[in-house]
Amino acid sequence: MSKFVDRPRYGCAMAGALGVLRAIPRAIPIIHASAGCGYNIYNGTNAGSGYLGGGYCGAASTPSSNVVERDIVFGGEERLAEQIQSTLEIMDGDLYVIVTGCMVEMIGDDSVAVAKTFADHNKPVLAVSTPSFKGNSYYGYDILMEALVKQYVISKKQKTERKVNILGIVPGQDVFWKGNLKEIKRVLHLIGIEANTLFGEGETLDDIKNSADAALNIVVSDVYASLTAEAYQQEHHIPYIRTALPVGYLQTAKFIRVIGKHFAIDENKINQVLAKEQDVYFDYIERVADIYNDVDFQRYGVVVADANYAPAISEFISDELGWLPQLTVITDFLTEEQKDLLTKRFDGYESGLKPAVRFDTDTSSVRRYLSEIWEKDSNQKYYDSLGPSVILGSVFEKELSDEFQYPLITLAFPVTNRVVFNRTYAGFNGGLTLVEDVFSSLVAGR
Amino acid sequence: MTIENAAPPREERLKAGIAFCGTCAELRSTLDKEDGGCLNAANRSFSQTHGCQFTLSLGILNSLRNTVVIMHGPIGCGFCSTGNVGTGKAFKRLRDPKAEGLIWLSSNLDETDVIAGGEKKLRETILYADKEFRPETIVVASSCVPALIGDDVDAILDGLQQDTAAELVPIICEGFKTKLMATAYDAVYNGIIKKLTKYRLRDEYFTESEFDKQKRQYQISRTVNVFNVGSMSRADEIEIKRLLQALDLTVNFLPCYSALDDFSNALEASLNVSICGTHDDYYLKYIAEHFHIPYLIDTIPIGRKNTNRWLLKIAENFGVVEEAKVLIKQENAILDRSLEPFRKILKGKRAYISGGEVRIIATAEVVQDLGMEIAGLKGHHIDQFVKPIFESLENSDDIYINIATQHPFEQVNLVRRLKPDVLIIHTGAGNITAKHGLPVLPLYGPSYNYLGYSGTYEIARRLNRIMKNSQFNKNLSKYRSLPYRDEWYEKEPFAYIKK
Repeated sequence: MSKFVDRPRYGCAMAGALGVLRAIPRAIPIIHASAGCGYNIYNGTNAGSGYLGGGYCGAASTPSSNVVERDIVFGGEERLAEQIQSTLEIMDGDLYVIVTGCMVEMIGDDSVAVAKTFADHNKPVLAVSTPSFKGNSYYGYDILMEALVKQYVISKKQKTERKVNILGIVPGQDVFWKGNLKEIKRVLHLIGIEANTLFGEGETLDDIKNSADAALNIVVSDVYASLTAEAYQQEHHIPYIRTALPVGYLQTAKFIRVIGKHFAIDENKINQVLAKEQDVYFDYIERVADIYNDVDFQRYGVVVADANYAPAISEFISDELGWLPQLTVITDFLTEEQKDLLTKRFDGYESGLKPAVRFDTDTSSVRRYLSEIWEKDSNQKYYDSLGPSVILGSVFEKELSDEFQYPLITLAFPVTNRVVFNRTYAGFNGGLTLVEDVFSSLVAGR
Repeated sequence: MTIENAAPPREERLKAGIAFCGTCAELRSTLDKEDGGCLNAANRSFSQTHGCQFTLSLGILNSLRNTVVIMHGPIGCGFCSTGNVGTGKAFKRLRDPKAEGLIWLSSNLDETDVIAGGEKKLRETILYADKEFRPETIVVASSCVPALIGDDVDAILDGLQQDTAAELVPIICEGFKTKLMATAYDAVYNGIIKKLTKYRLRDEYFTESEFDKQKRQYQISRTVNVFNVGSMSRADEIEIKRLLQALDLTVNFLPCYSALDDFSNALEASLNVSICGTHDDYYLKYIAEHFHIPYLIDTIPIGRKNTNRWLLKIAENFGVVEEAKVLIKQENAILDRSLEPFRKILKGKRAYISGGEVRIIATAEVVQDLGMEIAGLKGHHIDQFVKPIFESLENSDDIYINIATQHPFEQVNLVRRLKPDVLIIHTGAGNITAKHGLPVLPLYGPSYNYLGYSGTYEIARRLNRIMKNSQFNKNLSKYRSLPYRDEWYEKEPFAYIKK
């Protein structure tokens, strides 16, 4: 049984589904719901995802059946059929996907059956149930991807030996999705693995369609994309492994070794690659050695983020920035099993440190946890405060940041105070970018 | 006027419509028919997403001060508020430097609740919000799911009221109820009427002297409430205040950015004036009937003619017509002179104007005042409130007008035919509008002055600036394509409107 959420850091299942369709070139969503669902989601995703925009056919251009009371009473299937027909006439796309809202699901509209009546159209028309009461954006990503894998991806008996698909990065919800995919692709390429990120730079609908030729799916997430990975396994016989989202040199090196081992890539080759990347990486990091040690850039760290970012960022600030990670709040809906799995990610830091880890979906809880983990100021003459600190979270942490005067780096959804294009926090380059952003915030007043 | 449990849809209450394509003359003659002509029933066989009454209600609710908003629905309802976190706080602080940022909660109805009802979750959400944030007001905006499962939100709130410090306000605004998103205004006022519109008992009234009482009553006789809109700026309010203060009137602004007591305080006034007629009639009629404050719903103070008219109408109510005429004369003379340099540059340029019905027509008057031409108009919806504003337009009979809540597919078709030089446009479809490759002026907004005389100058100044360089949009029109098939541009723009 779920509970209320104080300022949710995600939209509904339809938001996740529309995020994927926003990411796929020339995919046209057809919303079967009340008029406001699509526009509500656009306004949340656009601003929250560093101004992702409506793109080709999003925002107020998204086709939507806009059902009203009459349709709810008499059923909305007829209206949906009319909307699909007119959308095919007007909107120029290569794939049409119906996503559904709560009200049409509650009255039992069979959108899949309606979509099937358009089976002979020259472009595919699919339908996916995405009611909000069934889950949030992460679930919506997964259920939409699962539908594509089952209904759209063509079967390939022949697998390409060193080809993988990347799953678990949720477009629109991971604000840096495009940059992250790009860097993961680059990193894997270094060890001779071709990665299909499905909707990365330069990739098209055909990359999704032909994705069943991969030998392996890499889910760069401990918890997301389960349905999708399972669907690939069952429908297309592609096994999958889960890894953490790698951020920075140490984590990415580990990532490369895990994947390298899986493909039995020569260890010398991996060492060579890492040596080169290490040199590039630390050549940059070395630049801030001066200021870091001249003025003491060590901070306490408070991390508030989703299940992909929270463990990765916490480990990064501990083991690369040399900071003291004090509190990490993971903000997803999670099962106890998933929580146990994620908790293990905080063991074994090189620094020997370990933050207090909390699972909580409420924005107001973060402040409460801060007072739990640190001794309160009781007006004693000398007080060892939790400072200087930096918060790495979402824009929802702004109030907390103002109250305690802790600088805030926004990297988890929603990020409304930055414009984000191809910036990455994943991989080697992601580590460099993160160091740039974090330390820029410390020198901004100079 | 009895107050219903929920505001009725505007297609029923006002015979408002959302689909029309034709000339202004045709539209006016249709409007003059008793039942709104064919406008009311019309809809589309192809539609695109736009706001619903739930999301538009948030435009007002999110602005209220010392208030926590509860989205009673599944996790996604009210997701749009994410976009208002930073800006909302900044705009509140322009009215109250200590104002808190926006806080909202989702009751997060899931599959179990859909079967069992959302009452328990809603109660828990309210009690947490009350204890955690200690707001003056907790507003519960109720979405499609609770409406379908039959949650009695009013009863739940009534039952909880004695357990909370905050005043609990129900807003019944499920999206599927109406095709007119403007029903949102009525939905919000419906909740405000139920819980916040009441006389405040002030102890000092029992002990005040006859002289103090007369003084107070005189003060009330010189006080006007101006009903603002969420998309106007603090600069707009300052301009309106300046003009009304020049007539020796005291001004209150509500409902946007109000705190709880403001709704009671506003009952001590002599006139309620709407900024935009399409917003407030539901509430102002109620106040007139139950609290005996007359109201004025006429034009919107955008542009010289409409601002003149708006001020004069207010002045008539307070017996200061002569003073108003002097003020108007002076303001017009200075503004007219100041617009001259812009007229020289803008003369003959053609503007396509799209947005709320009232504001597009009023903006069209500004465009004419600048010596520009109106290439075409597009309004979110249509009802009787647009009539007085039409009077300010010259030679409008043959101007093409499209009624569509957003629906950029009709806009692209029309813009290709009408070939304007500049687009003056409501937010929400920038990704499409940019690809016309034209300069775009946002139609009003919460961060700049648009109303009153100073607003007219601002429009001219910004138009002039924006038209100097449209490279950004030009590049996008060259290098990115619109999502509509070529066949669509060959069809008539109203091909998908069904009667």
